[in-house]
Amino acid sequence: MLIQLDNIYKIYGEGLESEVRALDGVSLTIDRGEFVAIAGASGSGKSTMMNVLGCLDIPTYGTYLLDGQDVGELTDKQLSHIRNKQIGFIFQGYNLIPELSAQENVELPLIYQGIGPGRRAELAHGALERVGLGTRGRHKPSEMSGGQQQRVAIARAIATSPPIIMADEPTGALDSKTGLEVLGFLQQLNREGSTIILITHDNGIAATARRIVRISDGKVLEDHEQEVDWL
Amino acid sequence: MNLTQAFKMAVKSILAKKMRSLLTMLGIIIGIAAVMIIISVIGGVNKKQMEYYESMGTNKITVYANLWNGGDAFDEVYNYCKGIDMVLGVTPNGYVGCTVKYGAKNSRSMEWSPQIYLGSDQYSMCNNFKIEKGRDLSYLDIQNYNAVCVLGARAAKEFFDAADPINKEMTIGGATFTVVGVYGEKDPSKQYSLDNIIVIPYTSQRYLSEGWADMSEFTVKAKDSASVNKVITLLNGNFSGWEQTNRGSFWCYSDQQWQDQNNQQAMMMALMLGAIAGISLLVGGIGIMNIMLVTVTERTREIGIRRAIGAERKSIIAQFLIEAAMICGIGGIIGIAIGFLGTAIASKLIVQMVLLPQAGVTVGAFLFSVALGILFGMFPAIKASKLQPVVALRAE
Ligand SMILES: Nc1ncnc2c1ncn2[C@@H]1O[C@H](COP(=O)(O)OP(=O)(O)OP(=O)(O)O)[C@@H](O)[C@H]1O
Ligand SMILES: [Mg+2]
Repeated sequence: MLIQLDNIYKIYGEGLESEVRALDGVSLTIDRGEFVAIAGASGSGKSTMMNVLGCLDIPTYGTYLLDGQDVGELTDKQLSHIRNKQIGFIFQGYNLIPELSAQENVELPLIYQGIGPGRRAELAHGALERVGLGTRGRHKPSEMSGGQQQRVAIARAIATSPPIIMADEPTGALDSKTGLEVLGFLQQLNREGSTIILITHDNGIAATARRIVRISDGKVLEDHEQEVDWL
Repeated sequence: MNLTQAFKMAVKSILAKKMRSLLTMLGIIIGIAAVMIIISVIGGVNKKQMEYYESMGTNKITVYANLWNGGDAFDEVYNYCKGIDMVLGVTPNGYVGCTVKYGAKNSRSMEWSPQIYLGSDQYSMCNNFKIEKGRDLSYLDIQNYNAVCVLGARAAKEFFDAADPINKEMTIGGATFTVVGVYGEKDPSKQYSLDNIIVIPYTSQRYLSEGWADMSEFTVKAKDSASVNKVITLLNGNFSGWEQTNRGSFWCYSDQQWQDQNNQQAMMMALMLGAIAGISLLVGGIGIMNIMLVTVTERTREIGIRRAIGAERKSIIAQFLIEAAMICGIGGIIGIAIGFLGTAIASKLIVQMVLLPQAGVTVGAFLFSVALGILFGMFPAIKASKLQPVVALRAE
């Protein structure tokens, strides 16, 4: 079992009248090689879920085992290494560093892996080529369209060839055609062996995943598998 | 993440905000330049003063000795000092004002007439003169009352110009003296007329028909500054009996303490002014801290992104520390450049020569500015590293 969430709570302002239970007793397991969509309305707790799954946030209660390890017992340094090597993030809203070029943005996780400049440039360029931006490496994010920025973000996520990819609304800001391209790309990565966790509020997009986990108000409503068409 | 990468990142972010970085550096630039100029100029002034003492001859003890019965007090002191290893030489210190003539030249018609010193064979040793031509006064000259003289460089030039003075006969105080040697120039700036002298054996004062030199003031030259006080103790121990037995009087002192005090004063002055300049460095450092805190706040999202994709806390600390150290280091280098220029100009104005800061001061100034950056960058850097990835990512 790759991911095992056991009764996870994420509570903001606990005890107050205004307490928000972004995650309200979530239990979930995800296997290696799965393609899971986490779907739900806005404010249902999807991003919170990704933050917990991605070791960016610590749940208020509950245990999270990643690869059999209790994440709650890991040090900040160990969590940094997991984020660096095990997980590729595609954030809601790209999260590229505006001062850096596309190439430099994609190199960033490789820098923190301590990979030398030559090999790094090669890997980053390869990743940019995979998303069809091989010639755009020198451009800054501000010089690119939303779809292109999203693809740079994808290139950054896949540059380290992580076993898990987490994408938060990766098509949110894209037109439907570009959106489909991105989804096709995630399916492609899944076929190559990556575990994909796709977060979306859009049922149509969730339908491209073999497994859908629906959440509402921080609780899992439904968890089912389906046949999908390859895009 | 390695260091080269961190340096490249710091350069990039400094260049991205050139104006702000420059303004941030200003405090460091002014502080470093001021400290360098103060230390260098005060050091230069002090050095020049020390050089003056040096040219007057260092490690000297002045002795006042008289024998009431008209005996040769100098001879007694001279002989006593022969037995002390720490003493390099002894000479009388008296001078006579009398007419000097050579050919058509007469000291009375000269703007600067030479000083006639009554010396022993150790006069040059005691007063730091070096023989350039001919020979120095000898012990035999003293013993035999020889009517010979050695000229200082300026006196030689005044009377003989380019001609060779050796073996020429001059009239000093009505008596004929043979020139046996010329001393090398000691004071090229000619400010102290140190070279406008003629030295004759003190025993030949008897030939002079005008002027009279007090033969009770002597100079004893000690081996080094450490021996000065020991020699004074020895002299006092040996000659204090003169007063008790009512044979004569004896008193000695050295201006060593005076020089030490001078050194100390210069040091105090440098410290005080340095401290004032140091305050501007402190203000500069706080400026760095302030701007780094602003930078960290502005770049919260970037920090979040870096943490999310795997930067450890220490990488974030390194990033901001190196940036702060580099801003200060560059400021330090600019400050050093201005410090060089300022030292050159200030020293030209104050001591009429161009001084430059010493290598030690320069390297120290650079290291200090970098250290300042690290010191004041530490708090913002640690603050940046403590940001929680999720919180930082949500920042606008
Ligand atoms: N730092 C916080 N403090 C208080 N409440 C928070 C905080 N972060 C999230 N929440 C609340 O937690 C709930 C879940 O938020 P989350 O961002 O996970 O929603 P989401 O499903 O990703 O929504 P969207 O589709 O709009 O991105 C929301 O009600 C939100 O207001
Ligand atoms: Mg969200």
